[in-house]
Amino acid sequence: MPLDDVTMTALTSALRGLSLRQRITADNIANINTPGYQAGRVDFESALRAALNDGVTPEVAGTVGESAAPSREDGNNVNLDDESVSMIDTGLRYQLVVDAVNTKFQLLRDAIKGGGL
Amino acid sequence: MSDMFGAINSAGSGLTVYRQWLDAISDNIANINTARPTSEAAFQQRWVEAAPTGQPGEAGSGVAVSGISLGDPQGRLVYDPQNPLADKNGYVRMPDIDLGEQMVQMIMAQRAYQANLAVIDRARDAYQQALQIGRQS
Amino acid sequence: MSIPAIGGIGAALTSTPPLTGPVGPSDATTTGTDFGKLLGHGLQSVQDAQTHTDQLAVQAATGDLTDVHDYMIASTQSTLMTELTVAVRNKAVEAFNDIMRMPL
Repeated sequence: MPLDDVTMTALTSALRGLSLRQRITADNIANINTPGYQAGRVDFESALRAALNDGVTPEVAGTVGESAAPSREDGNNVNLDDESVSMIDTGLRYQLVVDAVNTKFQLLRDAIKGGGL
Repeated sequence: MSDMFGAINSAGSGLTVYRQWLDAISDNIANINTARPTSEAAFQQRWVEAAPTGQPGEAGSGVAVSGISLGDPQGRLVYDPQNPLADKNGYVRMPDIDLGEQMVQMIMAQRAYQANLAVIDRARDAYQQALQIGRQS
Repeated sequence: MSIPAIGGIGAALTSTPPLTGPVGPSDATTTGTDFGKLLGHGLQSVQDAQTHTDQLAVQAATGDLTDVHDYMIASTQSTLMTELTVAVRNKAVEAFNDIMRMPL
């Protein structure tokens, strides 16, 4: 099982995308009172899905866009509830993908160690 | 937002709706004595209308605000000749907002907000337990 | 030139069934189950489990996975199956070596 197969590349791309999302969410929350600030949104899932469907190496980076939510009077459109939910969701998904990466390494280690059980 | 942790996202949509409800209620209460001249409409009470998202027959995906409707523009005519906005008969138009009713709604909105927070908490704990499956300590 | 006596022994040799060893999926079975076949099946199912886990991992990466526990259970299963297969193989090799070391 080579370490750069499709699954591993997809998982590492997901890790990169999720940690970018964490940073952008923290940015949004920090700027919750900044006039004119538009909340950022990270999307890596569509690029990842497209790469997997096309059979290309799924080495994608997340793109940062702006949220289309309506703005308040000061031009700020950061919604604290959405950002809090995003933090929890991203944190759990990050844990899941880290576990997936660990599992792949563990299987390789088992095969290498062989008789060490 | 992914479907993976759907319970958290549904509760999050509830948080948004109840927060908007609280905003509307606090706006109503703040303007409970806003007088307007009789030539204009009174300050109208704001009602937040919510509708569930998702199709019937499947597990839904939360709630969203479907619109804001306004209350009665007639208001109450109150005799207040000292008021600079009073018309030639001494009347001003006051909003038709009942403070007691607004307080009840505020308590309901607050409880609903807290309930959704509790859902997020519990769901996050459950998902974290699921992430521990098979882990050797 | 044929030697009838040797020819008779040759006939006797070919009529006895071949011995079954610890590996060798094509050996004829004289006992109920063939250990080699078992190991072959085991390796195939480990391979299938790892592929299934990979598929679910990719779904988890793109966010299409509906149930988190599906992935966690599949990954635990494939890890345990791999470890079990490795342990079985080790024991089989150990047993084979023990037999080979037996004085004849």
